[in-house]
Amino acid sequence: MKKSSSERIEKRITSSVYVGDGTLRNRIDVSSRYFILEVEIKNPRASCPLPGQFFTIECGGGKEHLLRRPFAVHSIVEWSKEYAVIQFLVEEVGWGTRRLRNIMPGDKIGILGPLGRGFKFFQGNHLLVSGGIGVAPLHFAACYLEERKIDYTFVAGFKSSRSCYSGLEKLEGNVLVFTDDGSAGKKGFASSGAVSAFEQAEYVAVLACGPEPMMREVFQMSSSAGIACQVSLAERMACGVGACRGCVRRGKNRNLCVCKEGPVFDGTDVW
Amino acid sequence: MDLSIELAGIHLRSPIVLASGTAGYAYEYDGIIDFSYVGAVIIKTVTMEPRSGHPEPRIWEVTAGVLNSIGLENIGIDALLSDVVPHVSNLDVPVIASIAAETAKGFARLASRIEEAGVFCALELNISCPNVERGGLEFGVDPKATSAVVSAVRENTSIPVFPKLSSAVTNIREIAEAAYIGGASGLSLINTIPGLAVDVASRRARLGGITGGLSGPAIKPIALKAVWDCYQATGLPIIGGGGVYDVQDVLEFMICGARAVSVGTATFQDPQGAGEIVEALPSCLEELGVDSPSRLVGTLET
Repeated sequence: MKKSSSERIEKRITSSVYVGDGTLRNRIDVSSRYFILEVEIKNPRASCPLPGQFFTIECGGGKEHLLRRPFAVHSIVEWSKEYAVIQFLVEEVGWGTRRLRNIMPGDKIGILGPLGRGFKFFQGNHLLVSGGIGVAPLHFAACYLEERKIDYTFVAGFKSSRSCYSGLEKLEGNVLVFTDDGSAGKKGFASSGAVSAFEQAEYVAVLACGPEPMMREVFQMSSSAGIACQVSLAERMACGVGACRGCVRRGKNRNLCVCKEGPVFDGTDVW
Repeated sequence: MDLSIELAGIHLRSPIVLASGTAGYAYEYDGIIDFSYVGAVIIKTVTMEPRSGHPEPRIWEVTAGVLNSIGLENIGIDALLSDVVPHVSNLDVPVIASIAAETAKGFARLASRIEEAGVFCALELNISCPNVERGGLEFGVDPKATSAVVSAVRENTSIPVFPKLSSAVTNIREIAEAAYIGGASGLSLINTIPGLAVDVASRRARLGGITGGLSGPAIKPIALKAVWDCYQATGLPIIGGGGVYDVQDVLEFMICGARAVSVGTATFQDPQGAGEIVEALPSCLEELGVDSPSRLVGTLET
């Protein structure tokens, strides 16, 4: 049978995914709740992940804890067809992430990705707004923009200085840190930081990742300023490839399959 | 060792099949799962009209299992035939379709359309989904309704028909016998088991659909008993599964009477797990002193 063009695209996407073992190269504790997993992959063959894309990682739970956990790429240390090193910024929230915090450098971990669709970028000033662990994919986005000499402002909100992610200090762009209690950076939510960022400059695109109320607020701000806002959604996932429909959620007019069509969506598709 | 088996007239190169709902429409896993190991893929249940399914969250991990309330979200038969069939016919693996409807007539109509597509080697009748109000478990808990659905489909199709049974019934033997009388070519079992998970702080259910279906190793002993009961009651060829995780599980299901064994939830942890099971199977069968998988079927000593 003659293959349709849509099928060719589908094949290209799926064959660009790595499935197999990675090796934990390093684990770096960055705060009481956050840590970085640095994973090495030999012969990934897959295409280099883009900001907003994610991997699913096996947590070593055997029969007792079956599901992989999805993590956005935080940065790419190295990527070629023969060898790759990726970093994931992980927040310890439950059994799976606790287990990942306890694996040792040199241990093998099952890894699948890059999966999903990431952020779209444009020429011109970008506004990045993160809340909590939402900082992970936007850190990668910031690095990506820096490499391409594109300007950005990064508003990152955290609960307190204890949960702050210090890696942002290495970024060269305009980074504004907010904490709920004012123990680091300015006092306030990321969304209030976004308000002042909107007052200070003009943007061609807004990228947001964090708690849903925050993303929705940032989307509404962007909409009234006439700027397109992309949001990265999180849902509990099983397959990660669009097969099981487990991570599907209601969007504005239709179902959104977070792992396959997302995790990054135009805000107008969501609300 | 030749791992191939005959299942109600279908030739499978290995007894391992991918369970409905966990393998999507199969092509999503193209390039991730090596289908050359797999005997067949049972694709996601399709209904006459598209269904949007349940609100999120739809997935919750529990000890040794996963609770889901997808709610039979699917693209509907028209889109299945126009969009999925071209993909399916290109995959190097036999594909079994799965259908659900609210009436016996509805099942029969869907079955004819599936057969007309010409690419599906068999039909699974989902009469046991715990996640829909109408057309799900209501058929699978009632022998008369089970028999009516199976015979309505039987009259409209010539491909093998496997009703998928639930173990959440008082007496699964009665249901299996009713399916047999209705003209089932074989049986598929078990579906997920109704379950509930609670968040204490909010006093809310963990799933948007409130209750869901439990799968994974937690349900394996229940599934083994269901397979053994149905094998004894009918002698029909059985696609057995429920919590299959490794080759040991596969052997247990075959001993209890399964000719083919389905891997479902375990695929989420390791998409290549089914292939690894197939690779491990020959030496395990040799150790048991059998020269083909079919010689192990229904050999439980009592």
